Amino acid sequence: MPLRILVVEDEMTIALLMEDMLTDMGHEVAGLAMRLPQALALAETVEADLAILDVNLDGRMSFPVADILRRRGVPFIFATGYGSAGIDAPYLDVKVIKKPFLTDDLAVAIRTVA
Amino acid sequence: MSEVERPADAFPYGGGALGALIRAFDWASTSLGPIDRWPAALRSVTSTLLLSPVPIVLLWGEDGIMLYNDAYSVFAGGRHPQLLGSKVREGWPEVADFNDNVMKVGLAGGVLSYKNQELTLYRHGYGEQVWMNLDYSPVLDDAGAPAGVIAIVVETSETVIAERRVRDSEARFAALVNATSDAVYRMNPDWSEMSALDSQGFLVNTEAPSTTWMDDYILPEDQPHVREAIEAAIRERRPFQFEHRVRGVNGSVGWTESRAVPLMDAGGEILEWFGAASDVTERRRAEEHLRLIINELNHRVKNNLAMTQAIAAQTFRGTEDVGEAQQRFTARLVALAQANDLLTGERWAAASLRGVLEQAVRPHCGEQARLTIEGPDVQLSPKTALALSLAMHELATNALKYGAWSGETGGVAVTWHTYRPENDEPERLHIEWREQGGPAVSQPARRGFGSRLIERGLSAEMGGDVKMLFEPAGLACVIDAPLTLYRSGE
Repeated sequence: MPLRILVVEDEMTIALLMEDMLTDMGHEVAGLAMRLPQALALAETVEADLAILDVNLDGRMSFPVADILRRRGVPFIFATGYGSAGIDAPYLDVKVIKKPFLTDDLAVAIRTVA
Repeated sequence: MSEVERPADAFPYGGGALGALIRAFDWASTSLGPIDRWPAALRSVTSTLLLSPVPIVLLWGEDGIMLYNDAYSVFAGGRHPQLLGSKVREGWPEVADFNDNVMKVGLAGGVLSYKNQELTLYRHGYGEQVWMNLDYSPVLDDAGAPAGVIAIVVETSETVIAERRVRDSEARFAALVNATSDAVYRMNPDWSEMSALDSQGFLVNTEAPSTTWMDDYILPEDQPHVREAIEAAIRERRPFQFEHRVRGVNGSVGWTESRAVPLMDAGGEILEWFGAASDVTERRRAEEHLRLIINELNHRVKNNLAMTQAIAAQTFRGTEDVGEAQQRFTARLVALAQANDLLTGERWAAASLRGVLEQAVRPHCGEQARLTIEGPDVQLSPKTALALSLAMHELATNALKYGAWSGETGGVAVTWHTYRPENDEPERLHIEWREQGGPAVSQPARRGFGSRLIERGLSAEMGGDVKMLFEPAGLACVIDAPLTLYRSGE
């Protein structure tokens, strides 16, 4: 089933790669934000079934975005180069995929959450 | 000279080894004269001193003829038995002046008393420093006039040397405390009371015994761990060693490495603990900093690998000409690496827009005259600089291959300025890439990675509008984005 997915990723090339991966899987990119302010604004308004959040957005943690998504009932996963070590305590139950990742890794993570 | 062996029951009676020597001595050859003609006072004092366990010497007459007991003979060492019956100034030639004064004062009826008097004596054939308590008083003859001097000689060398060692040791300890930057402390056996803490400015000193030291120096949440380490050290009677946080002067919190050794009595009971606490705050800070740097470095390595993966995936996506794709991929990796250099040069803090353009674009242009880079310098955040650098690389390689630099005469102008749409609105950055003089341009049938990176990626990165304009006169790229985003270095 195609999903509408919000992508929050501060690295331009990686953001484009994720768009390609998601499109190839048949999903639709509902929105793309690369900095915390845009991500916060988008998280409030986007119509999405799922979100993929980079943890560190140019030096600022994306956890406030996660809080908005939780409140709105939008499931999300973290994608980070830090691995689980960089995740704050309240989000330790959230699925994490480590960068760099394969299309299959992303597909599996999406299936476990959506 | 007549040798008269006197029986043991004659004067002086008893008196141990010296009694016997005195009885056997030829006193007639001295100024004292034959022993049986000695005045009553001389006989009385001689009898008395021979029975004393305290070292006593009698110096009789102007010459100070020496009569002494067994205890004094021990003090005299190798000088005994020659001293017996000798003149005191000759018997102890090394202290003749001292004894000359003793004789003069004593025979004039005066007394002398010295506490821990230091003299150099040759008792065993070599000079040694000797300390003594010396008490001299006159001995009156039968007519009541001073005829000799009696001296009680108690050697105190061992006590003086021991006290001096203690004093030296205390001085060395004080010097050590002053020389070290460590705080030095003492605790009672169960650590319930700190008797003192002396610090060279790192901690507040404790001058009087304190039972509140734990609350004074250790943060509440750390106290259980410190207590645990103390209890283990007491239980196992081994040195205490623990690294913990500590309240420093003016309320700051630092780190200390604290070590204390138990001082025990002969029976192995702990008398007190003696400790030193060094300030390791800087080291801890450096370790923490290093940990953060390693984490960050690890993150950046992963991120760079992810970017490499992204560039590879998109360069090779749907490509037919693998050879050309490989060349593009390599060029893009080099552009990425150079952009990283640019950021490293600025210590990852910020990069200048001019620097980004010069590095990303200039190497692709063969003739300097065919490239114009012009605008007021602006600082970019590292992320924006990296993204812009990759985008500019795409435009430059495209210009070289298909655009203004592919022929003999075309040129590229990159210009920018900052402006405010309305007076109170935030400042914006407007960048234009314009090619002219190249082959005629038409709308491409398919958008490649380069255009997508620029139009979709860069616009999202900069939070503004980025347009590629395929104008017949030459390709143009117009970027218009808020400036505040990158000025703050967020």
